[in-house]
Amino acid sequence: MIREFKKIGKIYVFGMLWLLGLIWPMVGIHKDGSLSFGRAFTIWSYIVVGTFACLLLYLLNKSGYLDKATKPMGRVRDDLVAKARAVPVWIWTLVALAAALIYPLFTARYAHDVAIQVLIYISLGLGLNIVVGLAGLLDLGYIAFYGVGAYTYALLSVHYGMSFWLCLPVAAVLASVAGCLIGYPTLRMRGDYLAIVTLGFGEIVRLILNNWMSLTNGPNGILGIKPPGIYVPSFEGGFHFEHIYLKKLYFLYYIALAIAVVTIVAVRRLNFSRIGRAWESIREDETAAELMGVNTFMLKLLAYAMGAVFAGLAGAFFAARMRFVSPESFTFLESAMVLSMVVLGGMGSIPGIILGCAALIVLPEVFREFELYRMLVFGAAMTVMMIFRPAGLIPAKRVGTRSEEKEG
Amino acid sequence: MRKRILFTAVAGLALVALLAAPAVAKTLKIGSMSPLTGPYAADGNDIANGVRCAIDMINASGGIPGYDKIELYPQDTACDPKQAVAAANKLINIGVVGVIGAYCSSSTIPASEALAEEDIIMITPASTNEKVTERGLPYMFRMCGRDDDQSKVAGKFIKEALKAKSIFIVDDKTTYSQGLADNVAKECKKLGIKVLGHDHVNQGDKDFSALLTLAKSKKPEVFYMCLQNHSSGSLMAIQAKRMGLKAKILSQDAMYHPNFIKVAKDAAEGIYVTYGYVDTTTDAYKKYEALYTKKYGEIGAYATYAYDAATVLLKAIKNAGSTDPAKIKAEIMKMNFEGASKWIKFKPNGDSSSNYIVFVIKNGKYIKYWGPEKGFF
Amino acid sequence: MDYFIQQLINGITLGGVYALIALGYTMVYGVIQLINFAHGEFFAAGGYMGVILLNWFIGRGYMSTHPMICIGASVVLTMGYCAFLAMGVEKIAYKPLRSASRLAVLLSALGMSIFLQNAMMLTQGVFDKPYPIELAEGSLTVGGITVSYLQVIIVVFTVVLLVGLNLLVFKTRIGMAMRATAQDKVMSSLVAISSNRIISLTFAVGAGLAAAAGIMVGFYYGSVRYDMGFVPGIKAFAAAVLGGIGNITGAMLGGLIIGMVEVFGAGYISGQYKDVFAFIILIAVLYFKPTGIMGENVDDTRV
Repeated sequence: MIREFKKIGKIYVFGMLWLLGLIWPMVGIHKDGSLSFGRAFTIWSYIVVGTFACLLLYLLNKSGYLDKATKPMGRVRDDLVAKARAVPVWIWTLVALAAALIYPLFTARYAHDVAIQVLIYISLGLGLNIVVGLAGLLDLGYIAFYGVGAYTYALLSVHYGMSFWLCLPVAAVLASVAGCLIGYPTLRMRGDYLAIVTLGFGEIVRLILNNWMSLTNGPNGILGIKPPGIYVPSFEGGFHFEHIYLKKLYFLYYIALAIAVVTIVAVRRLNFSRIGRAWESIREDETAAELMGVNTFMLKLLAYAMGAVFAGLAGAFFAARMRFVSPESFTFLESAMVLSMVVLGGMGSIPGIILGCAALIVLPEVFREFELYRMLVFGAAMTVMMIFRPAGLIPAKRVGTRSEEKEG
Repeated sequence: MRKRILFTAVAGLALVALLAAPAVAKTLKIGSMSPLTGPYAADGNDIANGVRCAIDMINASGGIPGYDKIELYPQDTACDPKQAVAAANKLINIGVVGVIGAYCSSSTIPASEALAEEDIIMITPASTNEKVTERGLPYMFRMCGRDDDQSKVAGKFIKEALKAKSIFIVDDKTTYSQGLADNVAKECKKLGIKVLGHDHVNQGDKDFSALLTLAKSKKPEVFYMCLQNHSSGSLMAIQAKRMGLKAKILSQDAMYHPNFIKVAKDAAEGIYVTYGYVDTTTDAYKKYEALYTKKYGEIGAYATYAYDAATVLLKAIKNAGSTDPAKIKAEIMKMNFEGASKWIKFKPNGDSSSNYIVFVIKNGKYIKYWGPEKGFF
Repeated sequence: MDYFIQQLINGITLGGVYALIALGYTMVYGVIQLINFAHGEFFAAGGYMGVILLNWFIGRGYMSTHPMICIGASVVLTMGYCAFLAMGVEKIAYKPLRSASRLAVLLSALGMSIFLQNAMMLTQGVFDKPYPIELAEGSLTVGGITVSYLQVIIVVFTVVLLVGLNLLVFKTRIGMAMRATAQDKVMSSLVAISSNRIISLTFAVGAGLAAAAGIMVGFYYGSVRYDMGFVPGIKAFAAAVLGGIGNITGAMLGGLIIGMVEVFGAGYISGQYKDVFAFIILIAVLYFKPTGIMGENVDDTRV
């Protein structure tokens, strides 16, 4: 144990010295030809204290000094887990659904806003999961379909006054057409070639949205999109149905919840269907899958199309919720964000992705207080998460292992 | 397993610490929204600092009766409409009385819709797009000028002062820059100035050689450079000089920034900039300048407007003696005083006056050059 | 005709800049098959370190007496700094993930990229930093065509680095070890090649190249900014893939093609769609040759 301490200590001291060497030139060399150490040292010492505390806790825990505190807690936890396991899954699902249903009653509008964002990203994340998690096609331009869905509803609503509910399927269909268009030329490519091509497609869609003035109004975006409306029975002046627009955030929350639930159910069904199995076989070994009679061509296209459908739904809702769309919402960073949610949560695992979406939306909002430091912490958290849990927060249960995992 | 428990415990503690934020005595809460991260972080920080400076100033003159202190909640929009709406909702939750922001017109518009639902005052220091105040929102105000006013001044300047016959226009495809560039093109056509070309670059571009070669080959007398961001502007100025572009360069308010000259150096010499007339000799400006430069460094393009916007808001609250939005609005409409940036008086739709004039960069400084009424200074 | 030649020169220079970044990128990729999103950040860090050192030399007064030595020292020190930085990043963010799925590494790299970008913003400020001196001021004008000396320097510098890199990879023992590691990590360690050390070294060389590119671009455009690495990083990625990822000469070719397409697209069709043209060419080439122009073996690894 002492030896282990020594080993870790040595790495730690060396690493911290290295860090000092990196920080100092950036802040300690001045324009007037002088050198200073104060500021570099201050920044460095904060980091040293922070990381040392973490390291100490980790080591103490590992060597058993914290057992007194953690053991009973662990027992309680294990008991809870065992009890939780005993209850059928459908009860938990119902509990979660009930909690989601009463959530707006106990929270204020900022919480609604964040929750709506989480729900939108759950649809996006699960859609991308079909492409990346199931079919194994790395897609860095996924947000383009989201954009297609959003602009579909925006344009139909503004120009033709079409209702949200009618536009929802239209947006989904158009997004899936876009999915096929993007999917077709990329079918032969693999791995990183696929990554850059999909990234390119995503950028092309964004640039077209930004530049096609007559259709999309370019960077000005589209204003005056109608929120979803419903017909409610009215008895004033004789019985008739009155059309009202749902502007309040908690109405929108329920619509987002409905879309997310539909997505979750659909993705779950797909996952355990014949198609889902075929996708997994393509992911594991495309050549072998083809030999076994899987129509890889059609199924890969289908993966793109199905993934795009959910992005299209989410996009149409996004447009209705913001009542304003502009190309700035569909940048590459957004694609990277959705991909992060999928990978961070655990590829292929539905509860994992839900958790990943919640984490990546809520974290930056929590860090809002830190203003400038928020993205810094976010980036660091992403790397640290990947180092400690490379398979995601809740890894998917897989049948067998993948060849490259075995290699490592 | 143990590791996980530890993790949970630490996370739980952190959550408790976050939730148990200490309750404070009576504070007046105001918010600011601007891009604090991302490509427009420079201008966004100027705005936040301008608001901070206004609060310092009010505090120095005795604060607002009935409140122990004024607290600012600066929010990051990153120039992204979605984040802007989230920030607006966050500010609504905090319970702010008014908001200074946002920067990008595309963030201001959706954020103002959210704020309008809760009747919160919003004063934008930097969004010049016409639509900001043209949507009939009762509590939307604007401290800076409008694109259509700016383009009229630019057109008049090209025709009367530069006596040019042809112009080449470039913008960088943002709500703000493209709107302004389109207006300038319209204005020029109206005045009989030939528009030889109107090209666009994308945000984040660094290399403008192809575009500048094109502009050079058309031989315009004036090159109108309409960019959202002064850092792209300085790059374009340097490359234009290197390319040997002979046209006179006219640009807009975003280029009124000390860093534009600092980066472009001698390539900035002789560039004309339309910007709101700021009388730097007034007492109000001098007082503001002294306080701002002491604490936050050099004054950026939008800091002064943000300062004035926050001053207007705080003064109105003080005069109204309440946080009722209707009363504050009534006080804002009554405003008639010497601000740091200009004489402040609001129009019924929420706009304040535009008073664009043309500056020229000489020896690394912005020099007043020409005004639409006065002619040459 | 003048117009065409001028645009051609613009295209070659821009292509040179992309190629310069893509060289380091493709080299790291060749050895560990990692889409290193942080490469653009090394490039930006290089640009900043260049400014800091040049300013310091000016402040000390050395610049007026020995300008060439100061510039040379700045370039070398900056390359060293970035190599140092990259080795640290590799140890923290990539090494623990060597056996994890490729997507985990991709995200770790993305997180590192966001982190470094914001760290630079916090330490260096949000404003552009101007380059204090101009390298090789002046330009050559023949007829209607203008070529600045700096453009010539960038192209020459890129070619020199290309040749140097090819020599390093194909003529030295270290290069041989790099190629062996790229082929098979387990086998190469059996023949006493420390794959960890080779990967570290590859990162160091790649980041050194990025740093050199950062300084060159800083001189060329006259300023640096904390987010300057992101867009060129993606373009360099595209260039590297277009040329056949992992292939050094391919990266150069890819960079040139993308630069040319952008410039001619902007010069003859429309400036706003120039990135669209670049990506369409990329997609078209990959459609007909899915492994890039100079890529040979089909990459059979999955995400």
